[in-house]
Amino acid sequence: MSELIEVHGLEKSFAEQRVLRGVDFTATAGTATAVLGPSGSGKTTLLRSLNVLEAPDAGTVRIGDARLNFADPPAGKAAYRRAVKALRARSGMVFQSHHLFPHKTVLQNLLEGPVHVQGRDREEATEDARALLAQVGLAGREDAYPSQLSGGQQQRVGIARALALRPEVLLLDEPTSALDPELVGEVLDVVRDLAEQGWTLVIVTHEVRFARDVADQVLFLDGGRVAERGGAEVLTDPREERTRRFLSRVLDAG
Amino acid sequence: MVVPSVRLLLLPLVVCGVLLGLPLGLGPAAATVDGDQPRVVRVGTEGVYPPFSYRDPESNELTGFDVDVVRAVAEEAGWDLRFTEAPFDALFPALDTGRLDVIANQVTVTPEREARYLFSTPYTYSRGVIVTASDTDDITTLEDLEGRTTAQTASSNWAAVAKDAGAEIDYVQDFGPGVELLVQGRVDAIVNDNIAVLDYLATSGSDEVKIAGPAGDEVLAQALAFTKADAELRQEADDALAALREDGTLEQISEDYFGADVTVEGGTTDVDVEASDTRTRSEVVQDTAWPMFVGLLRGTVPLTLASFVLGLALGLAAALARLSGIRLLDWTARVYISVIRGTPLLVQLFIVFFGLPQLGVDLDPYPAAIIALSLNVGGYAAEILRAAILSVPRGQYEAATVIGMDYGRSMRRIVLPQAARIAVPPLSNTLLSLIKDTSLASLVLVPELFREAQVTAGATFEYLPLYALAALYFWVVCYLVSLAQGPLERRLSRYVA
Repeated sequence: MSELIEVHGLEKSFAEQRVLRGVDFTATAGTATAVLGPSGSGKTTLLRSLNVLEAPDAGTVRIGDARLNFADPPAGKAAYRRAVKALRARSGMVFQSHHLFPHKTVLQNLLEGPVHVQGRDREEATEDARALLAQVGLAGREDAYPSQLSGGQQQRVGIARALALRPEVLLLDEPTSALDPELVGEVLDVVRDLAEQGWTLVIVTHEVRFARDVADQVLFLDGGRVAERGGAEVLTDPREERTRRFLSRVLDAG
Repeated sequence: MVVPSVRLLLLPLVVCGVLLGLPLGLGPAAATVDGDQPRVVRVGTEGVYPPFSYRDPESNELTGFDVDVVRAVAEEAGWDLRFTEAPFDALFPALDTGRLDVIANQVTVTPEREARYLFSTPYTYSRGVIVTASDTDDITTLEDLEGRTTAQTASSNWAAVAKDAGAEIDYVQDFGPGVELLVQGRVDAIVNDNIAVLDYLATSGSDEVKIAGPAGDEVLAQALAFTKADAELRQEADDALAALREDGTLEQISEDYFGADVTVEGGTTDVDVEASDTRTRSEVVQDTAWPMFVGLLRGTVPLTLASFVLGLALGLAAALARLSGIRLLDWTARVYISVIRGTPLLVQLFIVFFGLPQLGVDLDPYPAAIIALSLNVGGYAAEILRAAILSVPRGQYEAATVIGMDYGRSMRRIVLPQAARIAVPPLSNTLLSLIKDTSLASLVLVPELFREAQVTAGATFEYLPLYALAALYFWVVCYLVSLAQGPLERRLSRYVA
């Protein structure tokens, strides 16, 4: 089975700071990849490179049949923009602090992409959206505004909004770290369900136990490089000293 | 930074261009001789200078000695007259810029004016008088004006007479406000036309001012003024005046107004001026309330609406230009905003109306006022909208981006609706200012609410009640607008917990 995601030689600097120093990884369709690492290790930048919220300085990203080589991008602004758009269309994203559209109802948030960008039939998209809301446990809240929901509910709407685009890959950027502790569980449960249903997930997270449970693949990032990559055993029996130190720190704190 | 699509940025600009461009071509056709069609001749007159040019108290129609004379001339010469009422100081610029073909407003023939304009044969001979407060007794001749202050209309020949006599000049818009200054003791005297002063005394019944003496013994001639380029029209006027003198029409008009023939030299000494307006104060206010309301509906309201809509479009374009990250656009918008906010609206208005014609851009009063007011609103709205757009969290752009929205769509559907909530309170301030600022359009000949008040106040000298009424109208409109603000804010905030 060929890989759904293929990342090669990704580099990115902000001003003088080199955040990514040549990151490679692949992910198979239907697997969950957990990205862990100390803060500043480049986890979030890596994730945001996959949908070009940050444009890498060099390297290639391929998702499905959309591919973009940042060292040698398509000539011309319009061609580049098309390539970015094509790559972006492969993934949906869940943000740390949900970024729901506050002036739109839950249902409208879910329809914005499918109806107004993808141009899908409104009725069909609405049916889809209701099913997604039911799946994340929010059936009946279609007409609520985001401000009327709890943090956990908001994040679940954020997940449903990303799924409504029918992406090939779902990117999750620390989906629980802005939540009150008692709300974390409900969001992780939803993500776990998605993994079991066979969605391809890339999750930046600090939840080591959750990652151990769910991840088929673990990427441990340190200093802008992949320090260790493997199955969930990376989190129980790491080979690298750096990984071990990080885990003991995080697990002690948790 | 968000990179805009140039298309979206240009859209408001194009809309403005089209809307502003429209009236450019729609001005009244320049007076041309076209086969057997009577020539359209545009006449400028004050409308606030009784008994020469004023609104009839009963009918509110334009009337007066000069108005009747030019009407008789038009009938004789076969002209199709169009009157424009404007302050005296605006008449010559309007003639210069081709908005008028002739001025009929007791324009005194002077050598300076003859160097720039063509004059018909005179139809009035008058002399000047010095007007003072009733209790002033040390001013009786021109010599006494040395070092004193007089109130004059800037471009009037009487200002020149007073200046030559060594007086300091306080410039006023027309005779009426000058008298107010005199009564209030802010100036010492006014030099003006004998007949106009007699009319004032008869109409106002005032015993607070008096004719203190003659302003020299020179007899001055008043005539119709034309541009140098329009010798043909002047010739037609001269022929008509000659015919009217021949058949006694001219004399009859003068007798009707003054009980004497002022159309020949030496006729002005024994004039008998009746009050041009005999209404009481409350009658004046009652009679003017309706024309002012019409001015509100025809002038103030459409000026406000058009300028606000266009101004918002301009402001949005400027705000997006400033946020574009494209240096040229950013700086263009900065300069625009800085110029608009750093110069008085009145100056902007005068540049558009009186200045641009000298570059060949000739605008009618309405479009000129709308352009100036829109540009002004745009400059202020730009910064309000920019701040409001910046207040929308960056995450909102990112969320819109990852669901595939381009710049235009994320602006329209995500950012601007949220920015609108922030922008409404400061924008309603801008709107309230605009409503009141439309009164400045009266100075570029737009017949709006305040202009109507000025016209009647000029003829009746009832400043306080008429201006108070104008203030009341403005206040009511602003109050109604402010009532709408609450519901609008609530609607835009319905999603906020």
